[in-house]
Order: sequence, then structure tokens, then C-alpha cells
Amino acid sequence: MTHAHAPQQPVIEVRNLVTHYGERRILNDVSLTIRQGEIMVIMGGSGSGKSTLLRHLVALEKATSGSIKLLGYELGELNQMELYRLCRKIGVSFQGGALFSSMSVIENIILPLHEHTDLDRMTMKIMARMKLQVVDLAPFEDLMPSQLSGGMIKRAAIARAIVMDPALLFFDEPSAGLDPVVSSALDELILELRDAMQMTIVVVTHELDSAFKIADRITVLDKGEILTIGTVDEVRNSSNERIQNLLNRRFEEEELDPDEYLKRLMGQT
Amino acid sequence: MAAPERHGSAGQALESVGRSVTRLVDAFGLGAHLFFQSLYWVIMGRSRGQRVRAEPLFAQMMVIGVNAIPIVSMLSVAIGVTLSMQGINSLEQFGAQHQVVFMVALSVTREFGPLITGILVAGRSGSALAARISTMVISQEIDALKVMGINPVRYIVVPALVGMMIVLPSLTLWSIGISLIGSALYVAPQIGTTMGAYFTQVNASIDADDLAHGLAKSLIFAVLITIVAVVDGISVKGGAEGVGRVTTSAVVHGISAIVLTDMIFVFMTTG
Repeated sequence: MTHAHAPQQPVIEVRNLVTHYGERRILNDVSLTIRQGEIMVIMGGSGSGKSTLLRHLVALEKATSGSIKLLGYELGELNQMELYRLCRKIGVSFQGGALFSSMSVIENIILPLHEHTDLDRMTMKIMARMKLQVVDLAPFEDLMPSQLSGGMIKRAAIARAIVMDPALLFFDEPSAGLDPVVSSALDELILELRDAMQMTIVVVTHELDSAFKIADRITVLDKGEILTIGTVDEVRNSSNERIQNLLNRRFEEEELDPDEYLKRLMGQT
Repeated sequence: MAAPERHGSAGQALESVGRSVTRLVDAFGLGAHLFFQSLYWVIMGRSRGQRVRAEPLFAQMMVIGVNAIPIVSMLSVAIGVTLSMQGINSLEQFGAQHQVVFMVALSVTREFGPLITGILVAGRSGSALAARISTMVISQEIDALKVMGINPVRYIVVPALVGMMIVLPSLTLWSIGISLIGSALYVAPQIGTTMGAYFTQVNASIDADDLAHGLAKSLIFAVLITIVAVVDGISVKGGAEGVGRVTTSAVVHGISAIVLTDMIFVFMTTG
């Protein structure tokens, strides 16, 4: 399945990324390119390194070696202030939403504007309300995060992520913990965001249905290595046994070695 | 077989001590780093486009200071009265019960005011700060700040630290005053003097150095309470249980740091 948007120049370039946690190698020589306007889904089983890769892409972690270029900026070469400036051009929707529990929905969405612009309060509110309308949460702006359902939290997090009109939008497990109906609605929203705002979107997920629905291209990760990068059809029709195992949801069960897991838990590997 | 077991157990004990020392050094390093980072953002924040805002600072001052006034007042009265009762009882044996004003004024100003206020604020606000930060770590709110281009030290630690550094000495001053009023209410009728005469004697008993001694300590305690709470908060592991653990440890570590620092401070300034 390929969307109508023609792929353009690369906005994310990852080259030979290697990451270790202690002795354990989490990402092994990962290289990929994400082009402007596309939705790239990074897919893999538990422990495949997909969330770690996302944390590197949004500059929350530093790699052992390799490089990441985001919107033309080499992350490793930026100082803290340059990194903060670059962060204004990206939006991230975390798995649990990561809304600030002490703030109402609209205060959460206003926060980036409040911190990075000199707009007056009323203008910020108007801008935040526009984003709330995009995610269909306008009537709930005064609620606290604890009063929202799982799906509403994700929507509010998306509204906060897009309030600065970022060029890049990242999602960490957008469907996690949601029922199929809400999850499907969220997939539609991601597609709408790409179409309406011409954003480049990176989605980390292990939900196959969601991945196949929204992806322009899919990167399949396993044990920290990229198995393949391709369109939905290319991934679906791959002859690679490990990819087929993942698609048939046999991946995690087969890979779970109790001894290995316990050793990892004890930090012995 | 006994010898290897002994060696194994000694080795484990040594390893455990080594780990504890490493953790302690790590915590000290992190605490120092956070403190200097906070100073950096206070001074450079505006020019770096990350200014420290007044609203969270006032909010912190409200929570740490204003809301603590009733409990600080109650404990301060109790301390003033208790010291007076003990003082009169002890000094009576030497026929020197009139010296109780000197004793209470000096001990409250130099020692009990800052110490009791520090301990109370460590228990009340240090734990709350540790709980807040650890919850933010677990729910990825700190990560959210970072990816929004907001420095977490500037946004969370600086208002708490500056607020604490303003409020704790103020609360200490309040506590000293209230303790002395409590003491006066008990002492004046006991030794047959007036409240006015009591405070005249207080004025003669302590000077600006004594007050500066107490307030300087409370300033140091303010830094310790905040930094210890932040270090404990960001070191959280696990979920809700982890939050409970760091909240408790923030209180224990905060109070320990206050008492030990107090001893060192007194040793260095009165030696």
C-alpha cells in the first residue's frame, strides 16, 4: 500500500547506529532514511530495540557509535541550546501520553507555546483550542489528565505534540492499551495529520493491523538489527522467515528464552 | 569448605560496601551538578531563551512556605515552651533561673529555629518534591519536557531551589520569633517579669551574628533539602512502589544531611 504523497528528500538519516546498555548490545549497525512527508512505521517484537531507536531519534539518548541526522542537523554535533531549538521542530507522543498531571488539558497543550514564544495568553489559548479541535477534544479542555480515558490522553498528547506545528512527529506505541475501535480512530487521525499538515511521521508499534493501515514504509527490527525496510506489500510478501514469524505473531513466543531473560533481568549479560 | 564460604561472604560484604560508596559518590556528584546547573539557568536562562518564570517560583514559595506557617508556628511554640521549662528546671538548681531567657534566645536563634524548621520542611516539602519528580520520571513527563526543548533542571529544579532558598530562611525567622513568644508566655510569669522585660533581655542576649548564624544554616539546609529530594526523585526505579521508596528516602536523607551539616557548620563556626 503506497499513499499518494510522492517521497521527497530525506529528513531523518540514521547511519550505522550502535547502542549498548552495559555489555548488552541493543542496536546493531542500524541505518535507515526517512523521507519528507512519509509515514515510517518501526515494527518489532518486545526487546527488538524499536523504542530505543525512537529515543535516539528524538535525542533522548546518545548512541555508542553511528550518527543521526534530523532535518539536516547532525544530532551528535549539536550543543544543548541548538538541540533545544531543534526540538521545537519535532513533536513526540509518548506511549502513556506523558501529560503533566498537575495541569489541565489545555494547560498541557499551551506549555510549549508558553515556554518558546512571546504570544499573549489569549492567542496561545486560541492556538491550543485549534489543535484540540483537530484531535476532537475541544469540549474537554478544562479536564485534568486523570479525568481522561486512555484514548483521550493519547489525543491530548498528540494535540500537545503538534501545537508548535512540527515538521516531524513521533509516536511511541500509539495503539497500546486501546480497544480496536479507539485504536483505529487514532490511526485515522495519524493519517489525517500527515495529509492535512504535511508532516513526516515516525510510528513505533508492534500492532500489525495499525502498522499496515498507516505505513508508507515499514522498518522491521529484530534483536537490534534491521531485517528489512520496505512498503507494506514488500514486508507482507517477504520470504524472510523471521519477518514471517513476526507477522504471524509467533515472534515473541519463539524468542523468549527463560534463562536468557532471567540473566538479562539480573544484569548478567 | 568453611574457608571459601567465609571468603565469599567477606567478598560480598566488601562488594556491598563498595557499591554503597559508589552510589554515595554518584549522588554527591549528581547533586553538585544539579546545583551548579540550577545556578547556571538562574543567571543565563534569559539569554539562552530558557528564562526562569515567576509563576512556578511563587507557586513553590506558596507550597513550601505559606502553607507551612501553621505547623511551623505550632511546633515553634512547643519548642519555645519546652526549652523554657527545661531551662528553668535546670538553672533553678544553681539559682540562675533568670538566665533562662539568655539560654532560650541563643539556642532558639542559633540552633533550634533553623534545625526544627529544616527538619519539618524536609519532611513536608522535600518528600513532596521527591514524589513529584519520581512520578514525572515514571510517567515520562521529564522526557516530554526534554523533547519539547524545555530544560528539566530549569523548569522543575530551579523554582523549587530558589523558592526553598527564599522561604526556608523566612520560615526560620518566623519560627525563631514564635518560639520566643511561646517562651515569653511561659517564662514571664514563672520568673516574675513582664513580656516587655523578657524581650529586652532577648535583645541583649543575642546579636546580629547569632541571627546570621541561624539564617546561614537555614540557607544551606534549603539547598540540601531540594537537591537531596531531586537526586532521590530522579533515581526512582519501578512504579508506584518506587515512588513510595524515594519519598521515604528523601525524608531520611534530607534530615540526615541537615543534622550532619548542622554539626559540621557549628564545629566550623564556633571552634
